[in-house]
Amino acid sequence: MGSRAIMLLRANPQLFSFRSSAFPKAFQSKKRFYAAKYSLEPPDVPSLAEKARISLTPKQVEEFAPKIRQVVDWFGQLQAVDLQSIEPALRADTEGDNLRDDVPQVFDNRDAIIGAVPNYEDSYIKVPKVLNKEE
Amino acid sequence: MALTLLRGIHSNCFRLYPSVYVARKHVRHFRVRSSQGQTAMQEKQQTQLKASPKSESAKYEEVLKNYEAVIGIETHVQLSTLTKAFCSCPYNYGAHPNTSVCPVCMGLPGALPVLNSKVIESAVKVGLALNCKLSLSSKFDRKQYFYPDLPKGYQISQFDIPIAAGGYLDVDLPVEFGGGHRKFGVTRVHMEEDAGKLLHTDNGSFSQVDLNRAGVPLLEIVSEPDMRTGTEAAEYAAELQRLVRYLGVSNGNMQEGSLRCDVNISVRPHGQEEFGTKVEIKNLNSFSSVSRAIDYEILRQAQLHSQGQADQIVQETRLWEEGSQKTFTMRKKEGLADYRYFPEPDLPGVNLSEEYISTIRDSLPELPETKRRRYETMGLNMQDVLFLANDINVAAFFDATIATGADVKLAANWIMGDIAAYMNNEKLSIDDIKLTPQELGELIASIKGGTINGKIGKEILFELVAKGGTVKGLIQEKDLVQIADPSEIEKIVDKVLANNPKQLEQYRGGKTKLQGFFAGQIMKETKGKANPALLNKILLEKLNAKP
Repeated sequence: MGSRAIMLLRANPQLFSFRSSAFPKAFQSKKRFYAAKYSLEPPDVPSLAEKARISLTPKQVEEFAPKIRQVVDWFGQLQAVDLQSIEPALRADTEGDNLRDDVPQVFDNRDAIIGAVPNYEDSYIKVPKVLNKEE
Repeated sequence: MALTLLRGIHSNCFRLYPSVYVARKHVRHFRVRSSQGQTAMQEKQQTQLKASPKSESAKYEEVLKNYEAVIGIETHVQLSTLTKAFCSCPYNYGAHPNTSVCPVCMGLPGALPVLNSKVIESAVKVGLALNCKLSLSSKFDRKQYFYPDLPKGYQISQFDIPIAAGGYLDVDLPVEFGGGHRKFGVTRVHMEEDAGKLLHTDNGSFSQVDLNRAGVPLLEIVSEPDMRTGTEAAEYAAELQRLVRYLGVSNGNMQEGSLRCDVNISVRPHGQEEFGTKVEIKNLNSFSSVSRAIDYEILRQAQLHSQGQADQIVQETRLWEEGSQKTFTMRKKEGLADYRYFPEPDLPGVNLSEEYISTIRDSLPELPETKRRRYETMGLNMQDVLFLANDINVAAFFDATIATGADVKLAANWIMGDIAAYMNNEKLSIDDIKLTPQELGELIASIKGGTINGKIGKEILFELVAKGGTVKGLIQEKDLVQIADPSEIEKIVDKVLANNPKQLEQYRGGKTKLQGFFAGQIMKETKGKANPALLNKILLEKLNAKP
């Protein structure tokens, strides 16, 4: 899906310059590359919205579905690249392990964090009652 | 006869309905009755029950014997590192809510995780101890879902490439459940972070979140579905606890939540290869709950099968309720959850070198399984072996005592008896008592060599355990050397006999039980120092001599 394309994008920053100005242009361009379109499944917008906890009216689903599909297909152009003999890069490579020693350090501005919590009472973060883990 | 029947029915109820935690004097962890392990006693009771009408328990036996239970356990071990997995916040169980937080563990925008090196170390230790193959190159993934105790909206975990996989755990079943050795497969071990704590108010439309625990490192250990009974499952969990404590990576405390077990269980008719429908059980807070919940669930599923209602068993999560001793539906699973796993882009891969692994392997202590096998070759019986190897500090104390040359069985007896009793009474661990292994060795040698008798030995032990000091010092200070000179004992025997003419007459008249009375008086005269064997020999001679 789109996330795989995003992975590829992050791993190979030279392939696409992800400047905000470049994006809308490709989006509106009439010269679109359709080669990879039919190998990607159309996105299930209601399901996506549910997983992202975004509520959409049926009208909005209808409106957004083709737009989301266009974005996915645009990334889908990457499928034209021959990656047969290439190992997937999972991340932009960093030097070394980037490990930390097990030494405690109390964060010095806890008050600011707590102060930014919208609903804080009796030392607890107050949240609506949610009983079941629904994904 | 009625009494026997009553006893029979009574214990059958105990056996098949959720059992009671039976406390044993010198065993630290829970021992539980299982529905298996027919002892001679139970078989005897069954034959006596044949005469009575078919009772509930006999019906259950009928049902259970046609089915096999298939059990797997997912264990989460909270690592006892000083800081959290991905930030430097300290973690202290019981701290005031939301006092140990920072932008990283609270999931504030822009915060980035940095892995605690101790987490990898602990994971490798556990992986090696569980005989796993280590993945030299693993990674972290995001497991995405929404819940109030999950600040980032995802949990950093390991999905398709765990740090360790394909291992096994050796377990010795307790003697009281028939003993026996088992080897349970371990599918995988991986690293992940804990979520915060979510508390629900009884009334009210809101809940409360404490993020102190968010980001604390966990190791998830998944077993193969190799267990077949509640007892096996409970012992597997107990052995994992033993192991993580031996390794020093966790306190493995079920009550505190540093060791959590979820059980997956299904039943199938004997001989069937296909697994039955799998049910998950949560909310197990002790090893005995693990055992009882499994026993209950096996029965529930087997009964549905035997009534032709196997389709009533659905794949779901059930909660164990301690009060009613039953499992209840939590919610029916509406399809599998979609966690949208993808590799964590903010963390580098986890790469292990052979050198690193070797260093850790060399630093591992002697593991419980190896220790048990070694103690067995030393001639100790299984009960002693299981006790001594249970706690790494007790084992170390025992090993040190043996090293002074002390007799193996005697050392085991002292530790399992008087010393364990003292530790239980005072709620101390073996590292807290004042007695040293060297002095225990000295004590054993002194008794064996005849310097002091056994009873005095016990008194000295109590003093040493509570206040410290040396055996030699105490013997001298309190003048406790055993009286083993026959002529000295003779004098005292004569004196006691002379002082108690009435009892002497009664004895000679046939009341031979009075020997004990005389022995007691003589012991008192010698302040407990007389050699008991010699005392009784001389006493008997004099009592039976012609007046």
